[in-house]
Amino acid sequence: MNGLWQRRREGLITLLLLSPGLAGFFSLFFYPMLLTVILSFRPEGQKVGWTLAHYARFLGDPAFRDVLGLTFSLAVGATVFSVLLSLPLALVLREKPKGNRLLRLSILLPMMMPHLISALGLLLFWSKRGWANLFLLSILPFLKEPVAVNYTIPGLILFYVWLFYPYTCLTTLASLEALDRSIEEAAEVAGANRLRVLWHVVLPLIRPGVLAGSVLTFMMAFGAFSVPLVTGGNYRPLSVQIFTQATLYLEWSAASAMAVVMAMAQVTFLTVYMRVLRRPIA
Amino acid sequence: MRVYRVLALLLSVTLLVSLSAACGPTPAPPTATPKPALPTATALPPTPTPVPAPTRLTFVDTNSGANFQWFFKTIVLPAVKKDIGLDIDYVVSSGAETMQRMKAWTPGKGDAHVLFLKPKDIADMVQQGIKLETLSPDKAKDIPNIAKNRQDYLDTAQGVKIGGKGALFWRSQYAMIYNSAKITKPPKSWKEMYERRNEWKGHIGWIRPDSKSGSGRALPYGFLNAFGVDMTKTITDVMATKEWTDAWTKLADLTKNYAVQPIAPEPTNLFEQFKAGDAWISVYAMDFSLWSRSQGTMPPELKAGFFTEGITEGSDGYLSVPVDIPEEYKPVAYRLINYLLGDDIQIKMITIMWQYTGTEIWDKIPKEVWDVIPPWSEMEKGRIRITNKGVIDYIQKEGPKRLIK
Repeated sequence: MNGLWQRRREGLITLLLLSPGLAGFFSLFFYPMLLTVILSFRPEGQKVGWTLAHYARFLGDPAFRDVLGLTFSLAVGATVFSVLLSLPLALVLREKPKGNRLLRLSILLPMMMPHLISALGLLLFWSKRGWANLFLLSILPFLKEPVAVNYTIPGLILFYVWLFYPYTCLTTLASLEALDRSIEEAAEVAGANRLRVLWHVVLPLIRPGVLAGSVLTFMMAFGAFSVPLVTGGNYRPLSVQIFTQATLYLEWSAASAMAVVMAMAQVTFLTVYMRVLRRPIA
Repeated sequence: MRVYRVLALLLSVTLLVSLSAACGPTPAPPTATPKPALPTATALPPTPTPVPAPTRLTFVDTNSGANFQWFFKTIVLPAVKKDIGLDIDYVVSSGAETMQRMKAWTPGKGDAHVLFLKPKDIADMVQQGIKLETLSPDKAKDIPNIAKNRQDYLDTAQGVKIGGKGALFWRSQYAMIYNSAKITKPPKSWKEMYERRNEWKGHIGWIRPDSKSGSGRALPYGFLNAFGVDMTKTITDVMATKEWTDAWTKLADLTKNYAVQPIAPEPTNLFEQFKAGDAWISVYAMDFSLWSRSQGTMPPELKAGFFTEGITEGSDGYLSVPVDIPEEYKPVAYRLINYLLGDDIQIKMITIMWQYTGTEIWDKIPKEVWDVIPPWSEMEKGRIRITNKGVIDYIQKEGPKRLIK
């Protein structure tokens, strides 16, 4: 009886200690989300009444489905290429080559810069007379015209990768550094070459880290705003469309419905993604 | 264990006390102990304690680009502090966001004391019933400098009757801008630009109709106007005319087949296209283009000119005071507006930023200014005021589908 009372009291104290944090979390996180959801069901400009018209309008509009498809393609493309870039980079950094501290710091650079500034910088860097093109034109004799990167889908993916690969790179690197080297050595002693060790030992073991990083990259890329706004040209993913709907057309309910669809799509995709990739190693 | 219990108890009590303090009403500021009333022969009614005038205001700017944000922060706000002793919290926002916030205000609880708005924003606010103080004529005594504004600007913005709910701070003007290294004989009219379109195929700078910048709508508006669209008619009537069909077809031809592709989403991209040598000619805000040239974000060969049919007004700047702010802030807000409309700031604006003043003080402006920008009297002949918001809304809504490849 005394033990039960003791546990209850401890539970109460824990709850009391957590309550300011929980209150802050709910008011700052759930309340705005709840407002957005409510607004998405309101007739435009009204404070009362309910409607599904905004959802019906968007989900029935082929143009909206195209925008959703574009948003997914960009996010998936950016995630895949971020993982492909991060893996070799993390493998190199694990060996702590000369200058690795500077390299590690430079990985953080895209995270430290405001995205709008980065977007403008990338736009100038990759413009027809930007440094990248001047360099490529000077070293590749077969290249007669500047490479078109700005305002293209590959260009957008390239910019996303530059901005968001630190998330995959850092988590992959952390997983690699936590890995017990003796496991790899054991595999090598058993006769596996380095490629087989990488494929059959290292990659399966660091998969949770890669997965966590790729989820972060995907989420960042899915919701990216400044970069596609400035560098997307006619390719305008969902975040830019929501911004236009709210700030230009002043249709906040419609914009909220788009935001809810965006969130649902993201959650659904991530749930499937996590389930698929978290299957136990065979 | 006993120590733990005591500690847990103490912690709980502290937490409860701090929670109740945080959730409770804000404690009233300490007041002076009332002095005993002096005996008087006749009882006087108690005089209300005067509320001290606020010395800090929130100024929400939904209009300025990078150049004018710099101007406000480095020139205007220090001058306001020095000359009238006000501290200003300068907040950059958007019209849409400000409107949403204002809709949620209750009387006396508004926290944005002076607004600096684009014509579209003030027109939208008036149309949506968002309450702004009528500065002219109601507050003419508090803001004597508002008399230097021209009445037609106080009456309407984008064809919407705003009825003096904003004081005109500046007049912005779009101009034809071109790279003189690429174009030696610039066109003198919209029609000439269209007729000679093959000369600069793929090099005409344009801005998306759904851009955040008003230029996305102002450029098509000027083009349609030049090709004979009657802007006095309602959008339904105007769309039924032959001129509309003809002008719209030409406009779509220009933007789809002759403009730099993809069309710039925002002015920043237009500047980048100029800088990269892709764009040779366009129409954009004269002050910002010239300022950008001096900053190196536009080519040094950039020049400005005008079209004979006229070029649309830019985002003129209106200063407004919301009705729902606390009453004690209003006289201070009027004082600030009066100061901003004063000759000192207005002259600084045109001499430093090449932006036309909101007040009619042309005789006070140093003559050297007119060596850089055309005198207002000349410029105004070619200035088209946007009077048909229906056309603007149509361009904004339908433009992305009809003018973009």
